[in-house]
Amino acid sequence: MKGPLATAAVILVGMYVVLKFVLPLFTAPLPASLIYLYLALTLSAILIFYTISGESLNAFMGPITRFLTGEGQVGMARTARMLVLILFPLLVGWQTYTRLVPSDQPPVENRTIHPAPPGEFVGLSNPYPKTPENIAVGKGLYAAFCSPCHGANFDGKGPASVGFNPPPANFRDPGTIAQLQESYLFWRIKKGGVGLPVEAMPWRSAMPRWEFELSDEWIWKIIMGEYDGAGQSPRTWEEEE
Amino acid sequence: MVHRRLLGILITAAIVAGHGLPAWGGDPDPEKKEASVAVRLYLSDGPLPTDDPFAPTWDTVPASEFQLAPQVHWPQRIQEVTVKSVKVRGLHNGQELAILLEYQDPTEDDADAAALEFMVGDKKSHFAHAQEMLQVEGGEVNIWYWKNSQGSAVDMNAKGFKTLHAQKHQDVSATGAWRDGTWRVIFSRPLQTSDEHDVQIIPGKWTNVAFAFWDGQLLPDGSVKEKGSQKAVSSWWYIRAEPPPDNSIYGYVVLGIAIAAAFEFFLIRKLRRG
Repeated sequence: MKGPLATAAVILVGMYVVLKFVLPLFTAPLPASLIYLYLALTLSAILIFYTISGESLNAFMGPITRFLTGEGQVGMARTARMLVLILFPLLVGWQTYTRLVPSDQPPVENRTIHPAPPGEFVGLSNPYPKTPENIAVGKGLYAAFCSPCHGANFDGKGPASVGFNPPPANFRDPGTIAQLQESYLFWRIKKGGVGLPVEAMPWRSAMPRWEFELSDEWIWKIIMGEYDGAGQSPRTWEEEE
Repeated sequence: MVHRRLLGILITAAIVAGHGLPAWGGDPDPEKKEASVAVRLYLSDGPLPTDDPFAPTWDTVPASEFQLAPQVHWPQRIQEVTVKSVKVRGLHNGQELAILLEYQDPTEDDADAAALEFMVGDKKSHFAHAQEMLQVEGGEVNIWYWKNSQGSAVDMNAKGFKTLHAQKHQDVSATGAWRDGTWRVIFSRPLQTSDEHDVQIIPGKWTNVAFAFWDGQLLPDGSVKEKGSQKAVSSWWYIRAEPPPDNSIYGYVVLGIAIAAAFEFFLIRKLRRG
């Protein structure tokens, strides 16, 4: 099959293959809506190109008209036409169904993992010097109060960690405390899950409100022990400049 | 001239069809997970099997399974639990609901206990007895509690620590049976009640649910292994009573097919006439 219609089909299919399968080899997969938008743009370009003159329009549309009217069709073409004519209404019916059928999936939750802390905690710095003694004290307190959930290896896999939703934070993960300042950890330990703002879903977190059980001094030293044990460094203001 | 019209029609059709692209499975479902996230109360005809936790009917109901964690949120804590997970099955008949909790516990003890917790109303509540959240105004929770030695359910409310209390109006029933290391406990209640402190289960609407279990084993020193705040808990999951089937959808599907077929018919007739 040759002619403008076949060329257009090849361009469209090629475009789809590139967007859907080739691009993801180099970058994140594109959402379906974006692929649709690009294909629509490609189709528009093709149509503008072929509708510039009456002659090119006829060359482009002729095969479509002949296919749809079925004039002089035999064999495979005839079968293909029947298939298209039967499948199109069924496709419309199926699409209607998938659009209307009520979802039996629970509501989608977009939990903010690291929400902004309240103003009074912003910019606080650890008042205790980072001495081997303080770090050792912090690790001891961590072992007693934090490790059952967050793990003796600071990896969020303590003996009590199974079954939590969300799971206890893994401090070895570069996406957790390495991204945060000490003041942020101080807030999260002191106020616990119930201290979170609405977008962080405070009703789900099992993190205790430690201010009822631990002094500020202990919390600051735990933070020190936590960073040291997890092999991470707190994010500092200097790095942000 | 016909070609110009046909072109317009095809472009319109392409736009309409393309609009449905994501519905054709273009994007992966972000919520698709292996573990259960919700309890489904399946719609059933007639009376529910609320008397016998081991009734064969229950084995035909698909179960959701949830991992449990030790209660570490506030003292007294424990770091290991007996009940590590729970299988949950649910039925409703449009009037009443029944939820079956199934979990492993090697010994049957008087102090063995199980509970369901629900958010009440539209305000969110912390899963630990709706304790106060510092930046969010929370609501209360409705707790359905069953204890082996009592044999029946207690319908309770809490809004914060040390506020747990039984309701004046008791609406929940419960029956438990232990067999070969497995507890099965049925909680039942009308879907909706007149009590504003009760969770109202409206078919089709998602509500939050959590679970708690106590292993009441007597230890050699005479104390009970898990009691009070020492328990296996879950955080919030979802629960929904299946809505009655909406057959109007099929009417729209047939309509869609008919319109598409008519479109084809008139298009081809027009093309043939030139």
